Amino acid sequence: MSTILTHIAIADGKIKRSSLEVLSHCKQLADQSGHSVEAVVVDANASSFVEGIQKYGASKVYVVEDPIFKNHMNTPLLKALVKVMESANPSVFAFASTEGTKDILGALAANQNAAVLPDVSSFELMDGGVKAKRPVMAAKIISNTEAKGDTVLVSIRSGSYDLAENETSAEVANVDFSMDDSELKATLKEIISASGDTIDLNEAESIVAAGRGVKDEEGQKLISELAEVLNAGIGASRALTEAGVYDPSLQIGQTGKVVSPQLYIAVGISGAIQHVAGMANSKVIVAINKDPDAPIFEIADYGIVGDLYKVLPPFIEEIKKIKN
Amino acid sequence: MKFYVCIKMVPDVNAPLQIKDGKLIQDADRQILNAYDASAVEEALVLKEKHGGEVEVVSIGTSKASETIRKALAMGADKATHIVTEGNGDYDSGSYARILARFFEDKEYDVLSLGKQSQDTDAGLTGSMVAEMLNLPYATNAVGLEAEEGKLIVKRQGDTGQEMIELPTPCAVTCSNDMNEPRIPNLKGIMASKRKPMEQVELSSLGLNEDDLTASTTVLGYEEKPEREAGKKFEGEAGEIAREVAQLLDTEANVI
Ligand SMILES: Cc1cc2nc3c(=O)[nH]c(=O)nc-3n(C[C@H](O)[C@H](O)[C@H](O)COP(=O)(O)OP(=O)(O)OC[C@H]3O[C@@H](n4cnc5c(N)ncnc54)[C@H](O)[C@@H]3O)c2cc1C
Ligand SMILES: Nc1ncnc2c1ncn2[C@@H]1O[C@H](COP(=O)(O)O)[C@@H](O)[C@H]1O
Repeated sequence: MSTILTHIAIADGKIKRSSLEVLSHCKQLADQSGHSVEAVVVDANASSFVEGIQKYGASKVYVVEDPIFKNHMNTPLLKALVKVMESANPSVFAFASTEGTKDILGALAANQNAAVLPDVSSFELMDGGVKAKRPVMAAKIISNTEAKGDTVLVSIRSGSYDLAENETSAEVANVDFSMDDSELKATLKEIISASGDTIDLNEAESIVAAGRGVKDEEGQKLISELAEVLNAGIGASRALTEAGVYDPSLQIGQTGKVVSPQLYIAVGISGAIQHVAGMANSKVIVAINKDPDAPIFEIADYGIVGDLYKVLPPFIEEIKKIKN
Repeated sequence: MKFYVCIKMVPDVNAPLQIKDGKLIQDADRQILNAYDASAVEEALVLKEKHGGEVEVVSIGTSKASETIRKALAMGADKATHIVTEGNGDYDSGSYARILARFFEDKEYDVLSLGKQSQDTDAGLTGSMVAEMLNLPYATNAVGLEAEEGKLIVKRQGDTGQEMIELPTPCAVTCSNDMNEPRIPNLKGIMASKRKPMEQVELSSLGLNEDDLTASTTVLGYEEKPEREAGKKFEGEAGEIAREVAQLLDTEANVI
């Protein structure tokens, strides 16, 4: 029997749903193949998340708690994960594909001499390794890839798996951790956070995304109103994050975030492959664009051909009525 | 500051592609400089223009990769090293990282700059692998760089916000294309690039052989993505179609 270890990412004092998706899938894989599934949480308040992790079937939870983990920094995180890997000795170590994960995955693989499959949309175990599907070529096609080795690291795109609760009374292993400043190498000077309490796009049920067609404050106001009536997160194309209209952390696509909400409304977005790469797995896609030939219509379930300034006000009104 | 920028030739994702018997068929001539690497080159040039220094590009690839290297030289990089390989189908990020780490082992530099990911595979591993192999402080997904005496200040895009990170040099950084708009080489740059030094290095002269570079991942084959069908398109009076779609989202799609 070998161990599948899963990393539990914390954001804004909460377990990231994408980590629990990964844990849910790993639990299922472990049950099928007679392996055990364990989890590791690294945070300034790591122990407070143990209960939340137990709900999803980990048989052991490694807890690395230290004030240094208040903010993401690669050196301490790497050190903690190396330490946990050395005691858990996992054959597979699975992560949600967050920016935090992307920051350390290659380094951890190099440090542990492990094989690594980043950003997969699904994976399964095979003899001596892992087999995965990876979206490539700006997510236009899928590459079937395998990784062989005693240890394989894998990171999974958010929304790839459903949550499945599976209450366990996991054993808790508190891991000693200390690090002095001289080991830090880099210094975190400042964090410039996205303004206000924006909805985490990876977890949003609905997303309203604005593109270059949203030209001015009036347009942005319409976007905010639509997002508000739907209780949706606001996302943006690169055209608008680049122009400084929306915060860069709201960018959706190949460079930005990969999302898969129930409802995605693309407003004034042409549908360049690099944007589509980040949202094509949304359940229902609505596109509002005045150009009937815009590529976004090729993947939209509901395409509204029209000027967003004329379409959005009655659209918002109608949704308000439905909601009441 | 001395910058080394690692650049890669990648297939153009905008080129038409086909899958036949699990193999990817694409016009072999449609190869470009990885967009993220172009941003890394641009940013190094900007910092050099501000603070002085040198920008050298390094690329591992077949003889064709020299075209990509010329492009970076035409943008303004001072010189180049081309680490020549026979084919590059079987290497993964780990293989490239091992080659780069070996190449940089005995070099002197302030900043090793890479793209945050390859545009075709979106792996995003090589940068932090090389940093770990060379034991360098590093930051990934940079959207802005500043240089100070003995330091590189990186603004990186994190999950929810941007982190300002100070790295002592020598260090490594991976760049996002959200950092800048890479310059398009002008005629003068293109002419000048032909006279700039491009050194060719064989893997064997780095003391590496194919066995050292065996990839731990293998692409078994490619498949189409489950196609999304285009749904209904509504044209006509804005108010009418807006209300109609809103109704359908409620009654048909059940998403509001
Ligand atoms: C390596 C790489 C990575 C990239 N990563 C990303 C990424 O992560 N995310 C991303 O979004 N892009 C990314 N891009 C950029 C991408 O290629 C496109 O340039 C970008 O998505 C275009 O944004 P847009 O659709 O808002 O703008 P445009 O393509 O300019 O489209 C604007 C659309 O608005 C419509 N419009 C205009 N006015 C109105 C109106 N009044 N009413 C209705 N419709 C209107 C127009 O018909 C048009 O279709 C990347 C590019 C590269 C090379
Ligand atoms: N063959 C190569 N030659 C030079 N640099 C490379 C090569 N492969 C990868 N890199 C660098 O590593 C970055 C990302 O690697 P990847 O892990 O493929 O996403 C690229 O943007 C380059 O900077």
